[in-house]
Amino acid sequence: MAKLDVELKVNGEDYKLQVGSQERLLDTIREQLKLTGTKEGCSVGECGACTVIVDDQAVNSCMVLTAQVDGSKIITVEGLESKSGLHPLQKAFIEKQAVQCGFCTPGMLMSALALLNTNPEPSKEEIKTALEGNLCRCTGYQQIIDAVEMAAEEWGG
Amino acid sequence: MVEYQLLRAHSLDELLEILDEKENVQILAGGTDLMVDLHHQDDKFEKIDYLLDITAVNELKGIKLGNKKGEIGALTTHAELVNSPAINEKLPFIAAAASSIGSTQIRNRATIGGNLANAAACADSFSPLIALEAEVVLRSKGGARKILLEDFVEWPYQTIIKADEVLEKIIFAMPEGEYYSSYQKIGRRKALSISRISLTLLAEVENGSVKKAQVASGAATPFPVPFRKVNKYLNGKNFAAINPVEAGNIAADEMVGITGERWSTPYKRPALGKLVERAVEDLLEEAGYNG
Ligand SMILES: Cc1cc2nc3c(=O)[nH]c(=O)nc-3n(C[C@H](O)[C@H](O)[C@H](O)COP(=O)(O)OP(=O)(O)OC[C@H]3O[C@@H](n4cnc5c(N)ncnc54)[C@H](O)[C@@H]3O)c2cc1C
Ligand code: FES
Ligand code: FES
Repeated sequence: MAKLDVELKVNGEDYKLQVGSQERLLDTIREQLKLTGTKEGCSVGECGACTVIVDDQAVNSCMVLTAQVDGSKIITVEGLESKSGLHPLQKAFIEKQAVQCGFCTPGMLMSALALLNTNPEPSKEEIKTALEGNLCRCTGYQQIIDAVEMAAEEWGG
Repeated sequence: MVEYQLLRAHSLDELLEILDEKENVQILAGGTDLMVDLHHQDDKFEKIDYLLDITAVNELKGIKLGNKKGEIGALTTHAELVNSPAINEKLPFIAAAASSIGSTQIRNRATIGGNLANAAACADSFSPLIALEAEVVLRSKGGARKILLEDFVEWPYQTIIKADEVLEKIIFAMPEGEYYSSYQKIGRRKALSISRISLTLLAEVENGSVKKAQVASGAATPFPVPFRKVNKYLNGKNFAAINPVEAGNIAADEMVGITGERWSTPYKRPALGKLVERAVEDLLEEAGYNG
């Protein structure tokens, strides 16, 4: 099957890629771009481990064919860290002990970032809604919600 | 082995042209149903030569609510419905249904058109739209036809969409005068499918009575239908004469009349009755009747 040409901006860098007809955004990110922070859990939209931000919205990268998002701006967990060090969200996750095995963390961070980018002062309910598609087997979610609240406070002011 | 060629349409014309020219084309919208099938290498892919991504077709997007008429483009996502001020103000039961679907990530991609076209018995977009007596516009290169949503599904996962057609939009008349609505849902998707029921009640009211009621349910029946007997019970009734429990019983009887007695009936009968009862109570309360 013929490959398709796509252009993506990932974490601020432009890429011209060729993708297969069945290639998911998750595959492109992990295999072509070698950005392995994004995880594959359930592969069917239930766990959120593969969450990335596509044009400002949190999406499950296992549910999207890469060719569908040709021309889009994508942020993965690798996009969080900058020259000035850890992102406030990452610091808050560490501080609030919201990371145990860490498998869900990249997805959680992406859902939280998408929320804070559009809603810098979310309520607890809004945080819960933003994270409802991200499963964590280790923590009780409370630490994660606390971390997002802390990051929102630090970031906002 | 699954093999298909992926195509992308960038305009409605291009999309209709491809549907007209090629055979064995499957439309791909948000992918939240289809990508699950793809992951499981579902048999349906054996019959698919082309997967046609329509997410770049702007003509299929957007919400327009006028005073008399409304329309929702098939590619409108559940997140767009949840966040639309017009929908929240005028048709809050549609926002309620959309916000109950999946998760934030799912709602950001999943479309209302895909929810209807996939036609799962438990699809949550049906009951609010059937309560609105909505029609779907099915367009092919040759033209368009309008079908009442309640006639759109033939059987679970099977609709009357023809191979060369796309679901373009959903159209409806806006409710008139003073109206109230209630959307109720029990059960989660991951739970056994019998434990999921959703319900919409939409009622136009006038001078302390119901002028026109529309009750519809998702997942109570194999494909979504309006509950005409409950509508009839409520229509024209003074608030004081409405008994929510009776309305619930009528709905439950009507459901069993459609599905027959099944293994799930002992669960579904009281569950549906209760949902209708609650919706009618909501209506009376919102309409300011507390008799
Ligand atoms: C984790 C998870 C949770 C979910 N939770 C819910 C839930 O709570 N309630 C619920 O109702 N659903 C739920 N779903 C199912 C799904 O998200 C919805 O049915 C969604 O609205 C489908 O839309 P889509 O755009 O993703 O469809 P797609 O997967 O792209 O397509 C679905 C079907 O519709 C056809 N199609 C799509 N658009 C058109 C069109 N415009 N014209 C003709 N045919 C078309 C496709 O060919 C395909 O057969 C869930 C799914 C997942 C993965
Ligand atoms: S791997 Fe994508 S949601 Fe689980
Ligand atoms: S920290 Fe282990 S799954 Fe969340």
